[in-house]
Amino acid sequence: MTERAGYLPGLTDDEVDWQILRFGGADAPLEVAVPVLTDAQMQAMAERVRVASRDHLKTLTISQIIDIIDRAVARLLDRKDPYRRKAEEILPIVTGYDAEMIRLGLTGYLKTFRKPELQKFTVEDFANPLILDDFQPMPKGGFARAFGPDILTHIWAGNVPGIPVWSLVSGLLVKAGNIGKVPSAEPLFAGWFAQVLSEVAPEIADCFAVVWWKGGDTAREEALLKESDVVLAYGGNGSLSAIRDRVPVTTRYLAYGHKVSFGAISRAALDTQKAADTAHQAAYDVVRYDQQGCYSPHVFFVERNGRISPQDFAQYLAHELETFEKKYPRRALSIGEARDMATWRHGEEIKSFASKNRGLIGNADSAWSVAFVDDTEDLSPSGLNRTIKIVAVDALADIVPRIAPYKALLQTVGIAAPPAELYALSTALGIAGVTRISAIGHMTAPEAGWHHDGRFNLLDLVSITEIERSAEAAADTLAPYAD
Amino acid sequence: MDFTDKVVLVTGASRGIGAAIAKAFAAEGASVAVNYLQSSDAAETVVAACRQAGGDASAFQADVTDSEAVPVLVNNVLETFGKIDILVNNAFRPYVFDPENRKMFWELDWSHYQTQIDGALLSTHGLCKAVLPDMRRRAQGAIVNIATDLVARPTIPYHDYTTAKAALIGFSRNLAVETGPLGIRVNCVAPGLVYPTEGSRDTKESVKDMISAQTPLGRIATPDDITGPVLFLASPWSGFMTGQTLYVDGGLVMS
Repeated sequence: MTERAGYLPGLTDDEVDWQILRFGGADAPLEVAVPVLTDAQMQAMAERVRVASRDHLKTLTISQIIDIIDRAVARLLDRKDPYRRKAEEILPIVTGYDAEMIRLGLTGYLKTFRKPELQKFTVEDFANPLILDDFQPMPKGGFARAFGPDILTHIWAGNVPGIPVWSLVSGLLVKAGNIGKVPSAEPLFAGWFAQVLSEVAPEIADCFAVVWWKGGDTAREEALLKESDVVLAYGGNGSLSAIRDRVPVTTRYLAYGHKVSFGAISRAALDTQKAADTAHQAAYDVVRYDQQGCYSPHVFFVERNGRISPQDFAQYLAHELETFEKKYPRRALSIGEARDMATWRHGEEIKSFASKNRGLIGNADSAWSVAFVDDTEDLSPSGLNRTIKIVAVDALADIVPRIAPYKALLQTVGIAAPPAELYALSTALGIAGVTRISAIGHMTAPEAGWHHDGRFNLLDLVSITEIERSAEAAADTLAPYAD
Repeated sequence: MDFTDKVVLVTGASRGIGAAIAKAFAAEGASVAVNYLQSSDAAETVVAACRQAGGDASAFQADVTDSEAVPVLVNNVLETFGKIDILVNNAFRPYVFDPENRKMFWELDWSHYQTQIDGALLSTHGLCKAVLPDMRRRAQGAIVNIATDLVARPTIPYHDYTTAKAALIGFSRNLAVETGPLGIRVNCVAPGLVYPTEGSRDTKESVKDMISAQTPLGRIATPDDITGPVLFLASPWSGFMTGQTLYVDGGLVMS
C-alpha cells in the first residue's frame, strides 16, 4: 500500500519528485510517498499561497472561516468519511500507536475544533474577534485591526496524530497563508486535513500547502523561510536553535520546544474509595501516546499520610498500567527508544538496591515501569514509553523547590487536590514556570483555546495596525462635510 | 501452561491434594515451596518428586495456624526462592470424613467450630497477609484457596468443617475486591469428595458409591483431578477471573 503525503496547490503529482518512507511491519507494510520540491517549486508555491490568501482568505469574515473549519472537522469526525477511515486505518501503522487509542484520541481532539470551541478559542485572544475583519474602536481611543501574515510557515515535529491541526487552524483563524512542513514520523494527517478543507471550501484551496523535506535539508528549509512572515517551529532545542539561525532577522519566529510535565496528588485523593480511580486517571495520562506529548507526565508527586501511602499508590498505578496494556497496548519501540527505557530502568534499579526508600515495580519485559521514591527527589525526565516515577512528599508545596531546575521546560501539571490547595499550589507553580494546570486524567487533552506554553496562539501570529485618534480627528477636518 | 520462573507456596503439601498440587506445578517448571506440619519424610518425598518432575522444590516446616510461625515461613521461602508468585492455601485442620460416625449438631460445641475456622481461615488470613507485601511490590500475584463443594451442597452435614470453608469463600471474595486494583487475584477451588486422602481414608465404599451415582461424571475425585483447576486459577489463562469458586466434583454441584 502506498499513500501520498502533502498538499501541493498548483502542482500535479507528475511535476514533483517523491521520496518513499517505509512504515509498518512485515504484516502491514506501508509506503508513504513524500514530496521533494525544488527551490523554484517551493518559491512558486509560496507566491501562490500568498496571493490566494490575500485574494480569498483575507476577504472572508472570521465567522465564515470558522464555518469552513467546522465543516472540515465535521467530516473528520464522521467515521464513515473516507479521510476519517483512512486516518483510522493508516495512522496506527505509521505511528505504531494502538488503533483504539488513535480512534478515540482523534475524536476527542477534533471535537475541540468544532464551531463553538473555535468561537471560544478566538475570543480567548481577541476580546472582539471582529478586529480580524475590520478596524474596531479601542478603549484608549482610535481604531485597530489585526492582520495575519501573508505566509505563516509551520515546522511540525513528533508523531502524536493530528497535532499539526492545532497551528494550521490558528493560522486560518488569523487569515494567514499557511505552509506546513510535516515530520517524517507522521507525515500524513496534515495533508489529509488540507485536502478536506479544500473540498469543503474550494475557494480557499490555494491558501495553504503541506510540504516535506528531509530533516537537515537546510537549503530547502531556507528557500521557504525566506518567503515567510512568521515561522512557527516545534521540536528539540537543538533543531529549534538551528532553525532560528536561518530565519531572517525581520521574520517573527515562534518556537515550541520540548517540555516536561508532571502530576501532583494530594492526600485528599488517596482514601480507600478514591485512590484506585486516581491511579486509573494517572495511568491514562501515562499511557496516552506513550508519553510522547509535551503534556505527558514524567513524575507524580504524591502526598504522604493519606489513607493510601505513596508506595501503595505506586502499586495501584502499576496495576492500572498493566490493565491499560490490555486495552491500549504500547506501540513497538525503536531500538533507540528501547535502549533509553532500559537505561532509565537500570538506573532506577541500581538506586533501589542502594536504598530501602526506593523501589521499581514491573519486570524488564513489562510494557511499563513504576519507580517509587520515598525520599527527597527532584523532578527528572522519565525513560518515556510508560515509565513513571512516584515521589513521596509531605506536602504538595514541597514540590516547588524540586522543579526549580526545570523552570524553562515546565508545561503541564495534573493536580488532584481540594480547591484551596489547587489555587495555592497553582500560584506557586505559575511562578515556577508552569503554564497549564489540568485534572489528572486530562493532562494529554488540553482544552480548546489553551495558551500553548503560556503564549497567545492567535495574538502571537498577527500584527495590529492602529489608527490613532489624531488621524481620526485630522481626517474629520478634511471631510467634505466639515464646516 | 508454563510455570518456569514462577514460585509457588503450597501449604499442607506433604500429602493428599496438597502434594498433588505441588507436583503438578513442578511438572510445569515451577519452583515449589512444600509446606508441611509434621511429616518431614513425606514432605521430602514430595520435594524429590517435584524435582523429578522437572521443577525445583524445597520443604518448609511450619504450623500455618501459628501466627508467629507464618511470617517466618514466608520469609524463609522468600530467602530461598526470591519471591512468591502463587500461594495455594490447602492446609486444614485434620478432619475425618466419616458419614456414619459424624457428630450431629447437638453434639458439637463452639470449640469444634473454632478449631475448623482456625484451620481454614486463621491460616489463610495469616498467609495472605504475609505474602501480600511481596506480591504488591510486583503488582502481580495469584492466591488459590481450597474450599469444598459441601458449601454449596452439604451432602453430609459436616457442620464445623463446612462452615469454616464457607467462611473461607467469603474471605476470598472480599480479599479479591481489595487486591484486584493491585493486580492480585484470589480464587477458590471447591473439590468434592477426594479419594484417597488422609481425611477420606475411612469413607465407606457405600458412601463413595452413593456420591458416584449422583455425579454426572460417575465417580469421585482423585487428588490429580484437583490440580488442573488450581493451576488454571494460578495461571494467566484465568487472568480476568477473581473472587470465583470453581467446583471440581464431576458435576455434583452446578452453579
